[in-house]
Amino acid sequence: MRIKILIRLKSQILEPQGKVIEKSLSNLGLKNLNNIRQGKLIELDIPDKFSKEERDELITSACKKLLVNEIIEEYEVLG
Amino acid sequence: MSFKSAVITFPGSNCDRDALVYLKALTNGEVLNIWHEENSLPNVDLVIVPGGFSFGDYLRSGAMASKSKIINDLINHSKKGGYILGICNGFQILSEIGLLKGALIQNKRLKFLGKNCFIKKRYQSDFNCLINKDQVLKIPVAHNEGNFYCDDSDLKYLHDNELIAFEYCEGKFSNSIANINGSIDNIAGITNKDKNILGMMPHPERAFQNFHSSQDGKLILESLLS
Amino acid sequence: MNEDLIKQHGLTIDEFKIIHKYLKRDLSIEELGIFSAMWNEHCCYKTSKKWLKKLPTENNIVIQGPGENAGIIDLKDNDGIAFKIESHNHPSYIEPFNGSATGVGGILRDIFTMGARPIATLDSIRFGDITTDKTKYLLNGVVHGIGHYGNCIGIPNIGGECEFDSSYDYNNLVNAMAIGHVKNDRIFYSKPKTIGGLIVYIGSKTGKDGIHGASMASDVFSEDDEDEKRPSVQVGDPFMEKLLMEGCLELMSSGLIESMQDMGAAGITSSSVEMASKGEVGVLINLDKIPLREPLSPYEILLSESQERMLAVIEPENNEKVKSILKRWQIDYEVIGEITDTKRVVFSSKNKNVVDLPVNIIVDDAPEYDREFYIPKKRKINDFDLTNLNIENMVDNLFQNLNYLEKSWVFNQYDSTVMGDTIKEPGQSSGIVKIHDSDKVIGATTDCNPLYIRINPEKGMEYTVLESYRNLVCSNLKPLAITNNLNFASPHDPNIMGEIVLSINGLRKSASQLDTPIVSGNVSLYNQTNDRPIKPTPVIGMVGFNDNYENIISNKFQNESDLIILIGNTMSKNSSPYFLQDQLTVKKVTQFNELIDINYDLEKKNIKVLYNIFDHNLVTSCNDISRGGVFLTLIKMLQNNYGFNINIKDKFDIFCEYQAGYILTINKNDYGSIKNIFEKNQIEYQNIGEVTKESIEINSKKFDYFKILNDYLNNFEKIIN
Repeated sequence: MRIKILIRLKSQILEPQGKVIEKSLSNLGLKNLNNIRQGKLIELDIPDKFSKEERDELITSACKKLLVNEIIEEYEVLG
Repeated sequence: MSFKSAVITFPGSNCDRDALVYLKALTNGEVLNIWHEENSLPNVDLVIVPGGFSFGDYLRSGAMASKSKIINDLINHSKKGGYILGICNGFQILSEIGLLKGALIQNKRLKFLGKNCFIKKRYQSDFNCLINKDQVLKIPVAHNEGNFYCDDSDLKYLHDNELIAFEYCEGKFSNSIANINGSIDNIAGITNKDKNILGMMPHPERAFQNFHSSQDGKLILESLLS
Repeated sequence: MNEDLIKQHGLTIDEFKIIHKYLKRDLSIEELGIFSAMWNEHCCYKTSKKWLKKLPTENNIVIQGPGENAGIIDLKDNDGIAFKIESHNHPSYIEPFNGSATGVGGILRDIFTMGARPIATLDSIRFGDITTDKTKYLLNGVVHGIGHYGNCIGIPNIGGECEFDSSYDYNNLVNAMAIGHVKNDRIFYSKPKTIGGLIVYIGSKTGKDGIHGASMASDVFSEDDEDEKRPSVQVGDPFMEKLLMEGCLELMSSGLIESMQDMGAAGITSSSVEMASKGEVGVLINLDKIPLREPLSPYEILLSESQERMLAVIEPENNEKVKSILKRWQIDYEVIGEITDTKRVVFSSKNKNVVDLPVNIIVDDAPEYDREFYIPKKRKINDFDLTNLNIENMVDNLFQNLNYLEKSWVFNQYDSTVMGDTIKEPGQSSGIVKIHDSDKVIGATTDCNPLYIRINPEKGMEYTVLESYRNLVCSNLKPLAITNNLNFASPHDPNIMGEIVLSINGLRKSASQLDTPIVSGNVSLYNQTNDRPIKPTPVIGMVGFNDNYENIISNKFQNESDLIILIGNTMSKNSSPYFLQDQLTVKKVTQFNELIDINYDLEKKNIKVLYNIFDHNLVTSCNDISRGGVFLTLIKMLQNNYGFNINIKDKFDIFCEYQAGYILTINKNDYGSIKNIFEKNQIEYQNIGEVTKESIEINSKKFDYFKILNDYLNNFEKIIN
């Protein structure tokens, strides 16, 4: 099964790239695109034979041990 | 007394040789180079975690290196009171391990920054005891993720325990603002609570020889040796 | 074979006929791909070879001239320096970040392939008019890419040049130069020695990157091409390159490698053909053994330009040792074939030979053209209106023009101090690094004066070489040798071909005069979009030497009250091309007066006397005079709040270009000694003033010191944003 994990900087941390992207879009004439944030997406495969609990446990420990630095980042497992 | 030291090399470290040269020039003891896949560190007084792009800095700067085999023994070394100096990527690695508070995120202006910066001592530790209050040091930085971040409670903790070793400041004929990368409270380097671990973004190992543009980097190792 | 298919592969029908006549059979598609890759300008120099042959390439310090991955010169005591410059122009226009990053990666591989550890990089980058968003995008991407790759692998970037001119609007230029230190008894060449030696593949897996990149680099662009060409841009991985570099250097220092060749443009095709040709042997390679990132056809494998890959030849008994060293560095490794005595290049897949060609048809029979060329017409003498000059406007002009401003916005994105041996960082007349564990230093500079070369390709080129020379001399370096990167528009235009021929001739003349042989180089043609050619841009990378870093002279003021001395001859206002272009806004190339004749005697006389006074410790700082004249040279010499107060006969002359021009500062007490030496050597000099603190004064007119400094240091960033 394909899993997607979305990682973003925590909302309280200033994210200057969002502002820069917003400015560039606006320069291209694409207005009204606001509050841009940029994150990273990690995709991985987990064997289908795993139960939901096993899956969640594995993903959570992957995130906590390596993929995410919770001092600055938050994550969300997508679908 | 002879002062023994070691530098850890990770794949992608690129200031490991510079750190070895720095130690060999300024200390009188054995200087060792340790590969990240070793299980244990030799018995040394100081370990430098050098700069570079360990594991390509993929995922996050220092994230993968912080899970290397050698790290367990690095933690033991710190528990025994041994000194650790993390420079640049080394600072990022020490933060990722959790030996130091906070994290280093991308520079506020989103660009790599390679130039001389100016720093001064904030609170005293063994790493800066020879440096006078208000003395301005000129030392190069070279980083893309040197913007120190921590939350308010950690910041209070850093101040209450006097753990901020260095802060960026304005220099003479300096064409820049003091805060070069967006760091909270101009923080350029911090220690742990026991003050035997220092992480700093500027590179003292690039500022000690007579042909370097500054020799101020000597003061950090000399403080430790004094 | 179908004509369209042949043309799509960048070959002419005539070229195809040569192949067909030789082989007396039809080609496989894979073989056509090989000819496409090997017979384009980038690999076989078919347009420029006839002229390049005339360049001086040897003297008693040249260990390796052109023809290998890099040139090497001797620094004595078994120390050598390998260096080369290479272009990544087209890929950097299509995808500036990856295009420029892989340009740096490629040139670094050229250096460590020879057993040299890279110790410095430089770059020469050119962009169009900064007012367009496209140029801003290109500038940001290119600088980011160069920085990212070099910073990550940890090689200091010590200098270069960055110019803006509207002729580069649709064809920006990215030339990267690298320098490595080698022990002369440990140089590695691409020539294999042992029949039966194993051909091994080292590095990243092969993917679809850059298929037909080498032939793309020899195409004229049309404006709507960009999206179509995007997939063929390679993506670089500097982390892999760092591992590859350490792994390869370890293999070489352990004596486990017989020969090595990097898979650059045209990937495994050009690297294996090169090996076979150099060794006068054959190669037999099984394409099924190539480590792949995704399923690829034999055709795609042969033409892939995936980065960070090397081809090496080892003796069979070393196989296990090689494997274990590379495993430690986490590098992919595979034995893919062997060296044969057939003098044929054979690639097999699924037990079938998909390519089976004699080496000599690919290499020795590669076409060589003698294209028609025109020599520029003699120029009329033009007197310009010089009546309404105003010095304040002229100063403002300079500081509104990117070409005169300090470019720390660029070089602060590069790590220039990693490796701990940097003596002069970017932004000075040359970058300088120390050879590790030695007192010897190497300085390097990249230069080109496209405007001069457009006015007079031959003399313009000679001036370019002289400028590089002066860049090094003013720091007390002895210039040793040259690498060149000849960037031109389409050679099918006889005017452009004339620029190519004449500028190569200018390079020949000046390199012979100055005894600086050309030891490596690269040609990039077709830098043209529709009918918009770039200005001729043959870039010079020059390397200089001093045996002790303590002899290096600073390019910046050292003490207040030092005297400022000027030597050299002004080109005067009517004949200073950049002065006319940038101050009098002369635009048409036909309007410029002929370049002043080169005066090698004067250049050599000034150089000789400078070395003399450097040796006597009479100089506190020195810089050469180039675009922007005496004025800009003085501005570049400012540091630590120093200023200057000067008096000059014709104050407008300070913006003109110079022949053999230098500014030096000396201690007042040494003026007598300097005067003696100058007079004894019949050097014309002017004592124009002195170093001050926080003030700038020209012929008694005071300027706002802090405004000038602020404009010079900060306007670049303001203008590009």
